[in-house]
Amino acid sequence: MPIVSQKPLELILARNLMSALSTPAFLVDEGGLLVFYNEAAGVMLGKRFEELGKVGPQEWGSMFGPFDDDGKPIPYDDLPLVRAVRSGRPAHAELSIRSTDGATHRVEVSALPILTAHGSRGAIAVFWPSEAGDGNGALAT
Amino acid sequence: MKVKLWGTRGSVPSPGPETVRYGGNTSCVGVTLSDGSLLALDAGTGIRNLGISLGDAPTRLHILLTHLHLDHIQGLVFFAPAFRPQTEIVIWGPASPEASLRDRIARYISAPLSPVEVRELPCDVSFRHCPETEWEIGPARIRAASVAHRGPTLGYRIDDGDVSLAYIPDHEPALGADLDALEEEWISGFSLARDATLLIHDGQYADEEYPDHVGWGHSATSHALSFARRARARRTVLFHHDPMHSDAHLDGIAATARRRWEELGGAPDAIELGAERAEYALSGDGAAAAPAAAGA
Repeated sequence: MPIVSQKPLELILARNLMSALSTPAFLVDEGGLLVFYNEAAGVMLGKRFEELGKVGPQEWGSMFGPFDDDGKPIPYDDLPLVRAVRSGRPAHAELSIRSTDGATHRVEVSALPILTAHGSRGAIAVFWPSEAGDGNGALAT
Repeated sequence: MKVKLWGTRGSVPSPGPETVRYGGNTSCVGVTLSDGSLLALDAGTGIRNLGISLGDAPTRLHILLTHLHLDHIQGLVFFAPAFRPQTEIVIWGPASPEASLRDRIARYISAPLSPVEVRELPCDVSFRHCPETEWEIGPARIRAASVAHRGPTLGYRIDDGDVSLAYIPDHEPALGADLDALEEEWISGFSLARDATLLIHDGQYADEEYPDHVGWGHSATSHALSFARRARARRTVLFHHDPMHSDAHLDGIAATARRRWEELGGAPDAIELGAERAEYALSGDGAAAAPAAAGA
């Protein structure tokens, strides 16, 4: 039987939903690996997901951050998406993202784990412009 | 492997003179494996005739349920072998965090919907949640995977020797997705159907009907064709016909499907609409599963 690497249905449906949203949204698999972000997130980052290719956490961090209030990179393990995947609990944080044009966006991130009868499938995170503002105007959506 | 369609209709039985050729019974496909092992894919009203065909001989069979919508389980209490003590039945189906498979089926096989309870069935019946990994029944390897429909729903792939059957009767892979552009790993059900000798797939709606049924969990003709093309299935049977579709209407859908399949580069005889009691003998010689003459 040919075994094809196939994303779990829950991730497929999450991606389909995210594709229809105008809110920046990110999707990671059960291992915490980024597997998709939507068009709105691509506008925020300055790079469409299709253009990004496969990047690991380290490369992702060097490209986009995120950064804390002091401008220091936030460790991968502390990111809301990763916390949501590992704990099976929602996670929230305020942080900064740097887009490819060098602009910094201050955002609030809410991450929700995707839990099924067979365990965790990953997590989805939605980004909102911080109420404090990001100095670069509202996020393009 | 031999495959026989005992019920091709979706949603609700639709008997009558206008549906006599494609049939009015709801989803059920009989599968005979290379060692003679018997499988029933779903237990819609079509399983009643499957049961009759088995006669009175002692029977051991596996029933693989895609999900528990009524059109896929309604025939269980009319399946004659279930009322014989010499019958052994293993019922497989999707897990749910809400309740066990047995308890969920018992909601139907219990008062006031049924005159009998599960515990009263004379046969030896057991219930098993489908594992996430493949398992074996006789000479076949079985794999189940969640697919896009409403509620916990599985599709199945059965590999027996060098032939394979993919059964995804209730499926809306195009919901929010462009099947022609999406990467394969992001297409619901793709790994089940890839290179299948025979794909039995949801084709409930004509394309012009689909906009009024987005999110209902079923496919339009063009979606089913796109899915089959991406999966490179060698032969595709469109299944789960809408109960409002007469034989004449389905003939029109079949003609459209063949024409579009040919436009996609496929052989027009490799796509068809499922007809009740149609039989397929799957061979691994490179030829598509040859349709055997439909029985009476």
